[in-house]
Amino acid sequence: MKLIISNTSGIPIYEQIKQQIKAAILSGELKEEEALPSLRTLAKELKISVLTVTRAYTELEQEGFVKNVQGRGCFVMGRDSGLVREQLLLKVEAGLTEAITASKIARLSKEELHHLLDILLEANADE
Amino acid sequence: MMSNILKATKLDFALMKQYTKSILFTIFFPIFFTLLNRSMLFGISFAMCFSSATSSYTFSICEANNMERFYGILPIKRSEFVLGRYLLIILQGVLTITVSIILQLLALRIVGENVQMHQITSAFLTGIFLYSTYTAFLIPGFYKYGSIKGRVFLFFPTLGFLATLFILPKLSLKIPAVSIALNSPAVLFAVVFVSIVIMYFISMCISVRITEHKEI
Amino acid sequence: MSNYLEVKDLSKSFGNFHLKNINFTLPKGYIMGLIGPNGSGKTTTIKLILNMLKRDEGEIKIFGLDNIGDEQKIKYDLGVVFDSSYFCGEWRITQVRNTMSDFYPSWDTGRFSEFLRRFRIPQEKKVKELSRGMQMKLMLASAFAHRPKLLILDEPTGGLDPVSRDELLQLLSEYIEDGEHSVLFSTHVTGDLERVADYITYINDGQLFFSGGKDEFMDMFRIVKGGTYELTPLLSEKALGIRKFSTGFEALVKTQDLAGFPSLCAEPASIDEIIVFTNKRGENDE
Repeated sequence: MKLIISNTSGIPIYEQIKQQIKAAILSGELKEEEALPSLRTLAKELKISVLTVTRAYTELEQEGFVKNVQGRGCFVMGRDSGLVREQLLLKVEAGLTEAITASKIARLSKEELHHLLDILLEANADE
Repeated sequence: MMSNILKATKLDFALMKQYTKSILFTIFFPIFFTLLNRSMLFGISFAMCFSSATSSYTFSICEANNMERFYGILPIKRSEFVLGRYLLIILQGVLTITVSIILQLLALRIVGENVQMHQITSAFLTGIFLYSTYTAFLIPGFYKYGSIKGRVFLFFPTLGFLATLFILPKLSLKIPAVSIALNSPAVLFAVVFVSIVIMYFISMCISVRITEHKEI
Repeated sequence: MSNYLEVKDLSKSFGNFHLKNINFTLPKGYIMGLIGPNGSGKTTTIKLILNMLKRDEGEIKIFGLDNIGDEQKIKYDLGVVFDSSYFCGEWRITQVRNTMSDFYPSWDTGRFSEFLRRFRIPQEKKVKELSRGMQMKLMLASAFAHRPKLLILDEPTGGLDPVSRDELLQLLSEYIEDGEHSVLFSTHVTGDLERVADYITYINDGQLFFSGGKDEFMDMFRIVKGGTYELTPLLSEKALGIRKFSTGFEALVKTQDLAGFPSLCAEPASIDEIIVFTNKRGENDE
């Protein structure tokens, strides 16, 4: 997993960590039951505060992306876990909504849009 | 407690190392004085006066290097640092007087002067008494005012040296108690040692008090 | 014990400087930055912790023990680095090693040599021949070599180039990684060090301004910017510090007050900015 911290983005560091770990889980890069780097190791490697990493991990746990096992570390929840699934659905919805908005501007009909989706699904299945 | 004091002595000794030349000078230079006067008493008095003045060195090195902060972080008590420094200064005195007596004896022999035992005894007793008086007086002054301002106290060994040079010989003839003491080595030894112990004890108490209240 | 350092209602006066009611707690396993402008009382606080200065009032506990009553016991487990060398300038590195090993039973010569190599400190040199940055690293190496539980650094970055600052950062992160060590460092140039700090204690003119989590501290404030006409009396009143210039202004406000000024552009403040703005307020009051 890749974690890049920007000092100039204006986004708090814990938020940056959260977003990137979430993205890695949703993309499948981090597999179910995989352990996240330990709090203190990650803090050392990124040269950031331990509390900042703690906050990121705690919030990820609250959002249902990881579970904290006392004394063993943080583990990625399965993609079937309700909360992660919900996040994924939200992501699908967002993508589709964007597609619909764009299709309206392009004056695509409902059928054309469905057709396009079918083609894309087929192409994707081949890969 | 004792091992901590020894550690402190060792630390102070590490500071003094760079001044080995000055300390050797206080041992060798007075030999000429001895030869000039053909008197060990004066040579030793001079050496011990000289040597006591070097007790300011540890203080001035600490000040020059801002080392109070180092002493401040080390895991031993302030009083132990004080006692460690006294121990080093006392050891320096013992070393100086032993080496000085031997060297001066040799020097006097070489020029054909015959030295009596009682002359050595009186030179030794006068030497350690003067050194103890000077340092017991100087050290609290250095602790209180630092090595720069405390340097004004160096007038004391100087005065003491002049006093021994001119007053003591005359005094010993006039006051019967002094001449009794001078004629009985045992009494003399006892008197000198007791007064040295008392002087250092008072001096140490004052120095410890000063440092415990000091802010660095 | 879970707290390595507890400072309660600490007060100290000398001359016309007053350090008043300082309170903070540093738990085991974390880094705290003691920040504030020059002369605000950072070094005084550190010297009080080390019992180099005598406190007027309050309580200081290190590893759960009183810093005066158990001074010697505590100091075995304490590593201290000051902004300038406290070793004798005439000493060679070997003398530093010998002296330190006399005083600390836990002294580890191998570890010391390892740090000297890591810092590229030439072993045959005298202390006074080293640059200021090197002297600082020498103190750091000798502190680490006796494996202290708590490291106290007073203005450690003075004299350090950017590469060395980064090295120091790396070292501190490594040091606390096992969760058994803590660091208290004071600084008036926050910059990169603010990244590793878990806690911030901000002292301004002898008074405690804030002590707590760093993220919490940074979330408390925002910088708002706008044109001159947007600087309303309400904003002037709420602002902790304002910088005006010909085409507009910048002000530091509490995040909770931000809702009152929805039209203004707000952004997070750096620790440096927080110090600068909160300090200006002090000057205006006088």
